[in-house]
Amino acid sequence: MKYTIRQITEGEDEMILQYREMTPEIEHILKLLNKTQTKLTGWVGKNLTVLELNRILYIESVDGKTFAYTKEEVFRLDYLLSSLEQILSGINFFRCSKSMIVNIDKVESLKSLPSNRIDATMCNGEHIIISRTYASAFRKRLKGGVYLG
Amino acid sequence: MGKHSKLLSIWEHYLTKEIGIEFKACLYFFCILFFYSVYRVIGGSLEANIIHMAEMICLTYIMGYVQVYLLSNFDEGEQLKGKNFFYTILCSVIYTGISYICKWFDRNLWVYIGFALYIVVVYICAFLVYKYKRRLDEKHLNADLKAFQERRKQNE
Repeated sequence: MKYTIRQITEGEDEMILQYREMTPEIEHILKLLNKTQTKLTGWVGKNLTVLELNRILYIESVDGKTFAYTKEEVFRLDYLLSSLEQILSGINFFRCSKSMIVNIDKVESLKSLPSNRIDATMCNGEHIIISRTYASAFRKRLKGGVYLG
Repeated sequence: MGKHSKLLSIWEHYLTKEIGIEFKACLYFFCILFFYSVYRVIGGSLEANIIHMAEMICLTYIMGYVQVYLLSNFDEGEQLKGKNFFYTILCSVIYTGISYICKWFDRNLWVYIGFALYIVVVYICAFLVYKYKRRLDEKHLNADLKAFQERRKQNE
């Protein structure tokens, strides 16, 4: 893989990663970046705001748009859920259904449901269902196993 | 989701249902066979009719499909209230009706009444077993969750 490093004198520091297919090498780089990433940018109305990852309860995709929910606010994100899954899976976030990523640190308690589903009660009292498809990976993740999404 | 993973997901979904049906078929076959054996022993016979046994296994297998595909995926492990209670009674009536047609209990009316009640009890027991299993699972899940969150805090 080719890479270019250029020093700039103006503007913000920026890193662009271009890839055709997700390879183990790209995944590894993303994981390294994730370790340092603690913020996302999101829209509240017309204002672009910096959002601390540890404030997010869950991220949901609705009608092709992605929203991050905190205890107080809802942020619209300019990311696809699949990209966020790649970015956040290395830390405390987990893809819990086709349309949702949950912050495991913000889960208050879990309830085992029939058909191998899990009901997660968030710290604000909301309930999130971890679907059957993702439940076994979630259990593995809790036990400390690696899950790459 | 790629075509391959979509096919895999459909296959896994089908397999999960199929395994569930077969598991329940074995469970109910065992329970019915137990009742049948007790009936035979009380009647002074130590022999079981192999045709009756074949009918039992076929019936329990078909009932698994009926529950999944005709009774809107009725799962006695979930709950036994409302619609599911009605399905429990309905399934018990079907089991009893087929047992009457197949003459498992020599058309003895009291035995059929007992059999119907027995099937209802079996459904209730299945519900209680699944409920208890979920409660245990919940305990482990919450312990794992707390351990995960503790590990995260320590790493920060």
